[in-house]
Formats: sequence, C-alpha cells, structure tokens
Amino acid sequence: MQTLIERVVDGVWRDECGAQGALFKLLARVIEYEVDQPLLDSLRGELREPLAEAGAEVPEDLLTGDPAKVVEDLAVEYTALFVQPGAISPHASVFQTGKMFQEPADRAANWYRENGFVFTHRFSGEFPDHAGVMMSFVSALFEREADALDRGDAAAAQVIHETRERFLIEEMGEWVPAWCRTAAQAAEHPFYERMMNLTGRVLWDELTQIVPPRRLRELSEKNARGPVVVAKDPGFRKASGL
Amino acid sequence: MNKHFPMSRRGFLKLGGSTAAVASALGASRLQAMEQELGGKDFSPVTGKLREAVPYTCMVCNIQDGGIAYVEDGRIVKLEGNPDHPGNRGKLCAKGNSGFLHTYDPDRIMTPLLRTGKRGEGKWKRITYDEATTLLASKLRGVIDRANAANDPSIRNEIVFKWGRDRSGGARGRFMAALGSNGQVGHTNICESSKKIGLEPGWGPDIEYPDFASTKYALIFGGNVVEASYFHNPLAQRLMDGKTQNQTKLVYFDPRQGNTAAVADEWFAPFPGTDVAIVLAMAHVIMNEKLYDDAFIRNWTNVTPEQLIAHLKSYPPEFAEAESGIAAKDIRRIAREYATTKPATTFSYRGPCKHVYGAYQEAAIQMLNVITGNVEKKGGYCLPRGMGYNQPGPKPPGGKAPSILGQPPEYPLAGHQVSTHLPYQIMKGQVKMSVLMTYYDNPAYTYPSSHVWEAMYKDEKLLPFFASFSPYMSETAQYADLIIPDTSYLERNDPDSMPSDLRPWIGIRQQVIKPLGNTQEFRESLLQIINKVDADGSLGMKQYFPFKNGEEWVRAQFEGIPGLKEDGGYDYLKKNGVWPKYGKIDPVTNQIVDKNGDEVPAEYGLHMKELSAAAMDGASVEANGAIKKGGKTIGVRINGKNYAGFGTGSGKIEIYKESYKKYGFNPMPVYKRLASRGKKADELVLTTFKVNVHTQSRTAGVKYLAELYHKNPAWINPKAAAAKGIADGDLIRVTSSLGYIVTRAHVTEGIHPDVVAISTACGHSAYGRLAQLKLKDKAEYVAGNDPDIDNNVWWDDKGVHPNPIIRLQVDPIGGSQGWFDTVVTVSKAQAGDKYGDVKVSLEEAMKDYEETLRYAYTGDMHRANHKEVDIDWNSLPAPKAGGGH
Repeated sequence: MQTLIERVVDGVWRDECGAQGALFKLLARVIEYEVDQPLLDSLRGELREPLAEAGAEVPEDLLTGDPAKVVEDLAVEYTALFVQPGAISPHASVFQTGKMFQEPADRAANWYRENGFVFTHRFSGEFPDHAGVMMSFVSALFEREADALDRGDAAAAQVIHETRERFLIEEMGEWVPAWCRTAAQAAEHPFYERMMNLTGRVLWDELTQIVPPRRLRELSEKNARGPVVVAKDPGFRKASGL
Repeated sequence: MNKHFPMSRRGFLKLGGSTAAVASALGASRLQAMEQELGGKDFSPVTGKLREAVPYTCMVCNIQDGGIAYVEDGRIVKLEGNPDHPGNRGKLCAKGNSGFLHTYDPDRIMTPLLRTGKRGEGKWKRITYDEATTLLASKLRGVIDRANAANDPSIRNEIVFKWGRDRSGGARGRFMAALGSNGQVGHTNICESSKKIGLEPGWGPDIEYPDFASTKYALIFGGNVVEASYFHNPLAQRLMDGKTQNQTKLVYFDPRQGNTAAVADEWFAPFPGTDVAIVLAMAHVIMNEKLYDDAFIRNWTNVTPEQLIAHLKSYPPEFAEAESGIAAKDIRRIAREYATTKPATTFSYRGPCKHVYGAYQEAAIQMLNVITGNVEKKGGYCLPRGMGYNQPGPKPPGGKAPSILGQPPEYPLAGHQVSTHLPYQIMKGQVKMSVLMTYYDNPAYTYPSSHVWEAMYKDEKLLPFFASFSPYMSETAQYADLIIPDTSYLERNDPDSMPSDLRPWIGIRQQVIKPLGNTQEFRESLLQIINKVDADGSLGMKQYFPFKNGEEWVRAQFEGIPGLKEDGGYDYLKKNGVWPKYGKIDPVTNQIVDKNGDEVPAEYGLHMKELSAAAMDGASVEANGAIKKGGKTIGVRINGKNYAGFGTGSGKIEIYKESYKKYGFNPMPVYKRLASRGKKADELVLTTFKVNVHTQSRTAGVKYLAELYHKNPAWINPKAAAAKGIADGDLIRVTSSLGYIVTRAHVTEGIHPDVVAISTACGHSAYGRLAQLKLKDKAEYVAGNDPDIDNNVWWDDKGVHPNPIIRLQVDPIGGSQGWFDTVVTVSKAQAGDKYGDVKVSLEEAMKDYEETLRYAYTGDMHRANHKEVDIDWNSLPAPKAGGGH
C-alpha cells in the first residue's frame, strides 16, 4: 500500500514519464521518417509553440509554404541528410564500426526482442540500430513505465525504468549526442538543424539525470569526436608518393 | 646433471610424464594452433565457434573466382578461395578478399532514389522498390504503347540498356528481348574487343588459354597477368607454377614495368602499338629459318608456309627494330628460342589490341603459336574451356528492328559493338533514346573523353528518362532520374562460368546472406518491372518470366546440364559452389590431384577429336575439307580422318581472313604505323594501366584497397623528365588535343622514354566519400560519422583520372578503343594550376568522332591505309544495320 507521499511522487513521475515518452516519440518520428502532411499540420499547430519554447522554432517556410512543396522539400533534405551516399548515417554500426549492420544492430534488436518489440522496416536500408528507432524504443519504455505506474505496479515500473536507463547509457549514450551534433551541422534546412540540436540536448539532459559523474565524463569524451586533421608525415613517402 | 639444472634427464622425463597425466587440468595456453588446412573451415576467434561456410562466385572483377564466405551471426566476416575450384584453386586476390566490404559499405545505396533536383545536382527522394519499379515500368510501357500505336517496332529500340560488367547470366538480355528492344549496348570495346575480333575469325573462341603451368617458354605481350589482366589470379598462379616447377622462361613485352615484367626473365619495352611489328618479325625469322611446323601449317591452316614466307617478306627484324626500338638481334634470338623450345605459348591482353588496328596485332600473336605447332598441346596455346548454362524456355523472341546504337554499320566486323560511339550518335541525332537503363556501368568515368558522356546524361532532351541499377553512386549514376539499387554480388543469384582452367567448370553466385536491409537483387527488380509493364499479360511478356524469385530463375538455368543432375543438380552447387569436382589441391605442387595423389590430367588436342558416325550422318565434305551439316561447319577432314577442328567456316585455323578482306582490310596480319608512332620528339604517348589491388572503376571506395593504393602519379622516364625540367613529385600538366589534367610526376626507369603512363581506379569525382576523399573537402560534414574515415585515412591524395584527355579513336576492324594511342605533351604545371585540375573541350571531342570514322571501312583513311589489299574498292558492301552480332 503506497503512502500519500509515494502516490504524489509517483504521480509526478508518471506525468514526467508520459511527457518524456511523448517528447522522445516526436523526436524519433522526425529521425525515423520524412515529415508528412499530418506531422506538418502538427508542427504548424499544437507543436509550434512548445517547440519554439524548447529552442527549436519551426522555420518560417514550414509555416507558410505550400504544404505539398514543404513536404517534398523536407523529404529531399531528409534523404540527403540521413539516406543517400554521403549522408550522416543514423546507424550505430556505421558510427561505431565504419560498416553497416554490425554488432550494434544485433544488440539493438536483442533489446527490442527482450522487451517484447520486433523491428520492422518501411523502406529498404533500415536497421535496428537506427538512432530514430532507438529513440522510439526509449519513448515506448517511458510510456510503459507510465502505464505501470497507472496500474500501480511499482515493481514493473522499476524494471522498465532500469531497462530504459541501461539502454540509454549502453546503446545511445556513447554516440547519439555526437551524431545529433554532426547531423545538425550537416543539415541544410533549419528544421533538421534545430530538431537535431534539440534531440541532442534532450538526450544529453536525460543522460545527466541518470549517469554517475565519472561515467558522464566518459560519455562526454566519446561524444566529443570532432574533425580529424590528418597529420602529414613528410618522411612517410617520397615525393611521388609511390 | 649439471650445476645450473640439478636434475638428471631421467628425472626431467619423469616430471614430464607426470605432467602429461594432468595436462587437461592446466587449461588452455595463449598459444593456439594455426589453421593449417587449405581452407573450407573457419572459426570465430572470440567464441571458437565454427562459422557457416557458404560458397559463391566472386564478382569484384571479371575473372569469377570461386570463394567461400564465412558467416557469423548472419554477417559475412571473411572471404577466402574455394579449395574445390579448379580455376583459382583456393586462392583469392586482394580485391576478392576485400569483397565483403562492398556489402557493408556505408555509402552503398540501400533504397531506390528518385531525382528531385536538376540532373547531377544530388537531390534525391527515397522511395520504395515497389514505387521505383512501377515508375520505370510506366516509362517503358509508354514507349511500347507508342510503338504499337504506330505499328513500328523500331520505336521499341528507344528503350536502351547499357551495361558494363554484366554477369547476370543472361537476365538482362532476356528482359530486353521480352521488351522487344535491340537497343542493347555493352562495354566490350573499351575492354578487349579487338582481341576477340583478332581471334574469333581465326579459330572460333574469343580468347586463348595459355598453359603456363606446363610450358617451357612463355612469350607475353602487354598482358600483365601477374598483376591484373584476364584470368589474373588463375594464370598468375600457373605462371608461377611453371617458373618454379617447370623452369619456364618468361619473356615480357610492355612499355611499363609492371609486376609481370618484374618476374620475367627478360623484359622489353617496345614503343606502344609496335608489338605486331616485333611479332611479324619473329614469324619472319621462324619461317625463313625453317623453324616452323610444316605439317601443322599445311594440315590445320588455310595458308601454306610458302604464302606465309611471302607475306612476311617485308617484316625483317631490322624493320621491327626501327619501329619498336627492340634490337633486331634480340628479336631473332627470342624467335629462335621460342620456336625451338617445346612446348611454348604466347599470351596477350590489352597491350597489343587496344590500339587502332589492334585486331591485326592479336591475329599476328596467335599466328606465332600456329606456325610453331603449339596449338592445343600440353604447355601450349590452347582453346578456352568453358561450360554453358541455359535460359529456360519459353524464350522471348527479341526485337524485330535492328538498332545501330553502339553498333554503327560502319564497323561490320566489330561483333562486340562500338559502345564508345553511343553518346556521339545520340548527340548528333542519329539515334533516339527515350529510356536508358544502366547496369554495372560508369561511362562518365570509364570511357575515353568521359566528359562527352557527362554532357549527354545532363541533357534531358537527348535523354528523357534515365534509370540506373547501381548500388553505389558513381560519376554516371549521379545523373540518373531513378536509381533502383541492386545488391552486392554476395547477396545475389547468378550462374557463371569462365575458362580459367583447362578443366571446365560451372559455378553459382547465391545469396550468402539475405539481401542486406531488405534490398533487392537485380533479377527481382526485372521480374517486378516486367510484371508491371505487362500486368494483364496482354503484351505477351509475362509468360517468359514464370519465376517466383531470382533463385527460382537461376535454378531453372541449371536444368538439363548433362551430368549435373546426377551429382545433385542445383542443390549440389549451392553446397559446393562449383561443379564438377575434379579432385583436391595438392598443398605442395598446387595441382589438382585424385585420391591417389596423381594429378588429374587435362584434356588436350580438342580439335583432333574424331567425329562419331552419328555426327557424320547427313554431313557433307567440301573441297577444303570442311565438314558441313545443316549449313554449319561441324568439323574438318584431314588425311581421311574426320576431326572436330576449329570454330571457323573451314574447320581450320584461318590465318587468312576472308571476312576482313570483304571490307578492304588486309586478310593477313599486318603492321600499320599509327599516328602516335609519328609523334614529335617532345611529345609522349599516354598509356593507362590497372594495378593489382583495384578494378578499373569499382574499388576506390573499398577501405582495405583504398589504403593500399589511392593515387596515381604519372610515370615518366628520367630522360623525358630531364628534358622537360621535371623532377619526381613535380606538379605537371598532361595535355592532349582535348585539354589537360594537372597531376604529379613519378620519375622512374620503369617506363619507356616516349611514354607517360597513368593508372586507372583513382581520381573519382563521385562514388562514395572514400574514393573522393570528401573528408578533406568538407571535414566538418563527415566528422564523427564513419570512424574509419575520421581516424584511419592517413592519405590526402585521391589521384587524378586521365580519361577526360584520352581521345576517342577506335580500331576499324575490331571496334576497340585505342586506349594507348593518345599523343600528349607533358610540362611543368603553370601558374595557377592546382593538383586535380581537369579542363577539356567537348567540341574537340566531337571532332574526334568524325576523325575516327574516317578509319572505318567507309572512310577515306581506310582506303589510304590499305592500298595493298587487292579488292575492287568501288564494290565494298554497303553499310547495314545489325551487321555485328
């Protein structure tokens, strides 16, 4: 039997879970797929103000442009940023190993499977270690935790809570913030630049809540990967380079 | 017992014995036994688990070696040679070993892309395979409907398929035949088509098999087989077998010192395009010194020794020396050595044949083997042994109207097309193209004057719709309107066979893993497209594609192959990769041996197989001995015996080629002085070459290979460099009549003083981040994305591609591009020049098209260059569409 204080705390936490779940769902949606007409309507409507308050103001052309053209333009930008050759691959395997579909994809799929989810794809070329899918998984775990709290099942909520935190730290913490920064830099449309920055901030904020300071420093260092300057060694090769 | 080790040997052994009893309790050492088997098994170094082994046929280059892919957790982790494969005998080259990186390349195109911006602007929208195939089908259907409405089948030829490395086992051809279009253009004239046309009229097949392993003397002209060339891996192995086990003498002719030159007993660097003069001079020596095989010439060719001596009269070694720079005394000596050392063989590849009149060169080299009687002998010059597979019935009827696109009627002998001419024909309005599809093809990089192709691709009036099946972005795919990506070769089904050994084989490509990320193999896309073009079956196309998927289609291709079914049919191939299994590889001799350890012998003398009574039933014998049946030559009667003979009209080797003469070419192999031979003293001839770790155009983005070789400075001789004030590493301009490139000089003795040589494979302007070194252009863009590119790329030079300044000029006989006939000047770079600059003229390139047509049999230069041919020049056949095959 919960005490009144516990019920209040759980209630606050339940609301926070709900809010975080929704936020992660939005960010996951933006990363997983191109903006479509319903999402554009939401960006123009109920999401406009909160996004602006969160520092991700919906760009003017999204608000005023011909909807079909806006959707088309954003699809082109999405493809350039996340899909076509030269894109900022949203897959952990590429980011961490330099190859598609490596062990991080298996690990992600295992996480999903163990928690009752199965990875499906809409387009070819999508893998379980996609940053958007991972965000979506976190969102789902937030929602489940909220549901468990609604049911008053604190034990189940705790298990879900721990699962979510472990996933965030083990599978996302080392690379997704850096990836968001890189993608934001590469984005040519302010919508994606802002949404990627927002995603990075939301994720990092979440990590700061759950990660001990020493581990946070490690994550910070891992996410600090910047442009690498190739050191030229004049002794390495003769002038012709052969 | 001694003072340092107070224990007797007896005591030591006692301790050892006690220890052995408890050895298992001591646990594993860090030292583990190496893998000592010849292959076929592999283990995870982490878990020790046996990895799944899936056989396949390689397709990084065109040799089609057999491989085993090791799969762990659904992922290809390692490739190695298939030890049961008679061609490559368990070994892969560097390109083959790296092949799985094609599959996992982060810059691979993984979903269909629809162009949204201007052509080449790089703006795309991802779509599904279903949407993509629907779109392409609608474009194709539009052309077909127009053709049907006009009752004009020639309109269907506006559907054009252009391919490069097509190893789809006839899938592409079947698809186009069903669509009813003859607008099918390959790439062979930038490869070795003049070699083929030098050989095919002479003996049937388009290539030889030099039996290096058993030969005593190998004479190679411009076939850098230890490094690249045709049958690189299999023939390099056999050449080394011959050198180490059979004391084979190797004499190599090439203006550049490649790896084959490095292992040769003697290397000679002739002036480019003069190999044929040397060869004819050798033949002159052999014939005049009576070192020839009189019986073989008289029985098995369509000429006599007397005719040959007369023909070769004008090619003494001194003539060859003047043309080639190779000393007459060396030519004489080598001719004598070659003719008197038995067995002996030649081999040649692009060096001799990739010149204007390259077909003469190849025919001359073949003649050396014929006059010395080395044909089809152990250790000699053999016919290639391949195995066929089927296209299941019913087969589509094909296009009804001939197309001249890429097969201009001015080149009636060029049976492997003249694909270089495609953009010129389009830009000059000679042919109309409505839909272009491309497969494994990148002309905007791989063709001479590559900027001409670029200009055509950009023009939406000339090319209304362009679909590429490439899984990688390329200099060509970037201009497509639609990309429907194929898988990598490790995720695909194909039949394959290559004559890479004297024991014929057939192999499969199968899906080692499921197509990555639900991508779709080429065959599946073709099936979808046909089913959408002819959704209700009313066009009669669907009936030719009753296959549920790519694998079912390929399975049907293996039905009916004699003997295969008894061994297990397609399932045998899935398990073993190649059929038949001749034996095991002996780890010491490297030969294929039976269970007793005896070498499995190859069969020689194929031309001397006697025809059966059943084969002769209903056959007739002509005056020249040709045995005819059903209008075809099935053999030849010699000295009263009926032999299988060679694949010519006479059944004999036709040194005298009547087909050449019909169009005013010399029926005998001759030397024609090329324009490049008459260059000015301060000019150089530009040649290109392949290196051992790259293909022509498809490997610069493979990480292992890019690290090994990624830039291509221009090789220039110290004499030539000194005359121009050029030092090693200097920035230089290489200028042809088309324009110039700015690259760097590699000053080396390993190149002819009149030649500047630049390798292919480098200098990409598309094709992934690594090939383009995009990390240097826009570091902040890619940083933090691919850790290899971030951290492991230590080089900052991607090379400079020479093709934009290489002139279009083709062999009027075989149709081959004269890759090694462009005259250039080389100078120190000028103020303002930057490494990698390319400046070329489209207008000048268009002039080259007109100029090369002058050498075709219809042109004025043809007659001027063939005054010796005894023919009525006013009665040459008229140009006719569909002349080639």
